[in-house]
Amino acid sequence: MLIGIDVGGTFTDGVVFDNGRVSVFAKEATDDENLSQTLLNVLDKLLIDQDVNKIDRVVLSTTLVTNLTVTDSGPRTALILMSGYGLPQDTYNLAPDTYFLKGCMDFRGNEITPPDKEEICQVIKQLKDNDIKRIAIAGKFSNRNQRHELFVKAELAEQFPEAEAVISSRIAQQLNFPRRAFTAYLTARTSEKWNNFIDHMQQALKERQIKAPIHILKADGGTMPLETARENPCETIFSGPAASTMGGLALTWKDVKNSVVLDIGGTTTDISLIIAGQPLYASQGARINGKLTHIKSFAVKSVPLGGDSVLRLENDILHIGPERKGPAACFGGEYAAVTDAFNYLYKLNIGEPVLSEEKLALLALPMNLPLTEFCQLVTKETLTRLKTNIDAMFKEWEQEPAYRVWEIVNRQEFHLDRIIGIGAAAEAIIPKLASDMQIDHMLHEYSPVANALGSAVARPTLAVNMHADTQADLYSIEPGGIQGRLNKNKDLQLEDVKEITRQYLLDLAVARGLGSYAREAQFTMEEQFNVIRGWDRLGKLYEVGMQIKPGFIDEFEGVD
Amino acid sequence: MAKKPTGLLFFPAFDWAISPTHPEREERLLYTRDQIFEEGIMDLPQIKEYKPKLAEARDIARAHFCVPDVAAQVTEAHLISAGSTLVIADALMQGEIKNGFALVRPPGHHSMMVSHGNRGFCNINNEAIMVEYLRQKYKIKRLAIVDTDVHHGDGTQNIYWHDPDVLFVSFHQDGRTLYPGTGHVDERGGPLAYGTTINIPLPPRTTDAGILYVLDNLVMPVLDEFKPDLVINSAGQDNHYTDPLADMRFSAQGYARLNEKLAPDIAVLEGGYSVETALPYVNMGIIMAMAGIDYSNLREPDYEPGRFKEQNLETIKKIVDIQLNAFRNRADTIAKNRSRGQDFETIYKNIFYDTDYISEDQTERLRLCSNCGGFRVILSSAQHRNAKQYEVYCISVPSYCCEDCHREAMDMYKQMGSKGNYDFIYLQDRINDQYKSLDTYKEVETIL
Repeated sequence: MLIGIDVGGTFTDGVVFDNGRVSVFAKEATDDENLSQTLLNVLDKLLIDQDVNKIDRVVLSTTLVTNLTVTDSGPRTALILMSGYGLPQDTYNLAPDTYFLKGCMDFRGNEITPPDKEEICQVIKQLKDNDIKRIAIAGKFSNRNQRHELFVKAELAEQFPEAEAVISSRIAQQLNFPRRAFTAYLTARTSEKWNNFIDHMQQALKERQIKAPIHILKADGGTMPLETARENPCETIFSGPAASTMGGLALTWKDVKNSVVLDIGGTTTDISLIIAGQPLYASQGARINGKLTHIKSFAVKSVPLGGDSVLRLENDILHIGPERKGPAACFGGEYAAVTDAFNYLYKLNIGEPVLSEEKLALLALPMNLPLTEFCQLVTKETLTRLKTNIDAMFKEWEQEPAYRVWEIVNRQEFHLDRIIGIGAAAEAIIPKLASDMQIDHMLHEYSPVANALGSAVARPTLAVNMHADTQADLYSIEPGGIQGRLNKNKDLQLEDVKEITRQYLLDLAVARGLGSYAREAQFTMEEQFNVIRGWDRLGKLYEVGMQIKPGFIDEFEGVD
Repeated sequence: MAKKPTGLLFFPAFDWAISPTHPEREERLLYTRDQIFEEGIMDLPQIKEYKPKLAEARDIARAHFCVPDVAAQVTEAHLISAGSTLVIADALMQGEIKNGFALVRPPGHHSMMVSHGNRGFCNINNEAIMVEYLRQKYKIKRLAIVDTDVHHGDGTQNIYWHDPDVLFVSFHQDGRTLYPGTGHVDERGGPLAYGTTINIPLPPRTTDAGILYVLDNLVMPVLDEFKPDLVINSAGQDNHYTDPLADMRFSAQGYARLNEKLAPDIAVLEGGYSVETALPYVNMGIIMAMAGIDYSNLREPDYEPGRFKEQNLETIKKIVDIQLNAFRNRADTIAKNRSRGQDFETIYKNIFYDTDYISEDQTERLRLCSNCGGFRVILSSAQHRNAKQYEVYCISVPSYCCEDCHREAMDMYKQMGSKGNYDFIYLQDRINDQYKSLDTYKEVETIL
């Protein structure tokens, strides 16, 4: 028995999934002020008459960290940067309390400028004066050599022991200093509330005598154990859209096609792409408040248009959304919404069709339009907006840069096979959208709860990246921000680096209790460069990536 | 409205090399990748990143006579590198960007109009392919190519030698001290395009001050007077003080200032082989200058302002004066050449392909037209590395030539078809955008 709970913007949905069936479904309005209570209310509804000992796993997808970051709340947090030479310093003013320090590395991890102890002391004094105890430390090229970050952290620990510091090289080791710095900042800022949430959840589940493992859904569509999640709050950002993509995949299990997943909720539609059975990732990482991060996430486009988007007239001109004023009229809402127009026009028999007609007429009348024509206006505009956004996603995907000859030569043309519709309002809109676009569509009786279902059956993911430089005698590996010396191992070969990466991933999987999924891990990147000076090879540079890709847990064998 | 961004197309060809230890190898743009990605410059609103595409065979044939055909002279990497310049050209002309930088390899500025193989690490000329594309698609006539590579841009010079509408300016380390050995003061263009080729051979160890003097006192005034529709920077990075193949003293700050002043519409990467100590910083400098980002915080780890003193300013001043004068008097010289009254002017030359070790003999004939720059015919003969000897006859019709020249060139192609002395006869008809090639042995004509 699997439990999945997905916190959405409007509603929180939960399912109990057992033997290929959703046996229980629960729904509750989301209370942003008290997400853990909403989650527990849904959980308790699901648990009525259930034997808690039969639960195999609970997966939560929560908007807590997303909300914290989007509303920029949390304790006052400082960002200490060692940005060195290059772009002007003010490019990196990423947070209200940003401090700049000397100290600079190059891309091989060689020190250009050492940190200045005096200067560090001054900044620490300012932090104390301003009572800022949450601190993120980030250096340019700290992914290649974190020594300066560690030095500043050690000074802080000594001079300001009450402060808690996060270093960026532990959060991410990919290139891109501002994204790494900003991700570290968000981590430092959300850490406290996130850990309170985890404490609360663990306590609540204990009270309910649930002994099954509890996982959190990540932006990359995989899960991680709640305990692991303590140090990585940011990875849970945008797990809602990831849940819908995984839900779309779950409903079409083993039916590999190029699909677009549309999760049409009350106020928004989330669009994601599945290419040859694999969800498409955002090449730049998730974007928060306009700033890019190093959080691996699906490429999702959120359109402020959903089934409950209210229809209104302003100077006799029709406006659709973006706000929701309760449910659509056919479900007893006070105002006509998008779903009502589809309901009337295509005689869908959703809810109480008569209510749709009644409220729609109130709008058609002042526009002097027959009801059918008015509905056509609404549906046409809705479909156009959705199509435009789907097209834009494809365009962005096609424009993704590539840096190797084979990537350009072998890039294949993409043909969209179908639309997978999920979310409460999918039933009304998807069939018409698909016939307009002349492609197949897929709706399932579980479409309305596919998010929670996707969370329930998503498997854990884990990505390990290793960088090794035999000339500089340095390596770095993530997650965990491990760096060290290769001990002058100049003969290190690509196969060796791959083996170290594989072993690291296996060990980490065991430590996190994901052992069995490690065998599914695949190499996602293998790069090697000869370092040539004059005519001699002085060393080699390696970059290896390995990943347990998003997918489903072993127990899942499709939906009935 | 917000200001338009700078277009950037980064194509490091991480899976292409001339040979494993060659300067033109996979590692060349690796640290540049590290630097520009780590800085996060691609995430800034001032930058828009573009994706490469493959150039088509006809794009290449518009600028070159590839012997025996385009496929024999280019790899996929070359097509991507050339195609990338076209992506940037389109983005600029369609108003998406204010300027653009094709940060791509392999390079091209040593490739001449006839290509038998690789010379100076180049098989095909990216700038010329782009210029002819811009002329064909967007009807642009006048362009300036400023070659800022440390080596003389002899390939580009060769292609535009007879074109009065393309100003080619190259400053470089003196040819007596560096490959390819050309680019002397007196190389000023063909008889009807005299003065629109300008060479500034600089003494070894010229610094920022020397190069910026040339820019301020020669390049900028000449551009002001020539009034090109577009300015292209053939942007080599080997004037840098750490370049292993050359001996100059230019810095990343110098490169940034140069691009700020020159303000090219499009820059295309050429040479530069100090892969670790120069390229990451020089490339950042060029991108920042083109995007209007303050570059005062940029420097190489071992650089201090005032590290190099200019020793050769007097020599440089002299060259600048001479070249400015020649440029300003070009109309008189062209009129004198035209008045000689012959039909064709003939030049004999030998071209050496250092990378592929090919020696090519050329007879080049230019029609001394009274209305336009004339069209040219190249008779070329070379033994390729596969031991095959090729004798080819190439007729090149410029994009902007008169009807007489066009007609005569087409007739010439027809007549040559019946003569069996050449293996291939080519007609590069840019007026009709049609590129014909006749294999006389197989009697097969190919039209691109």
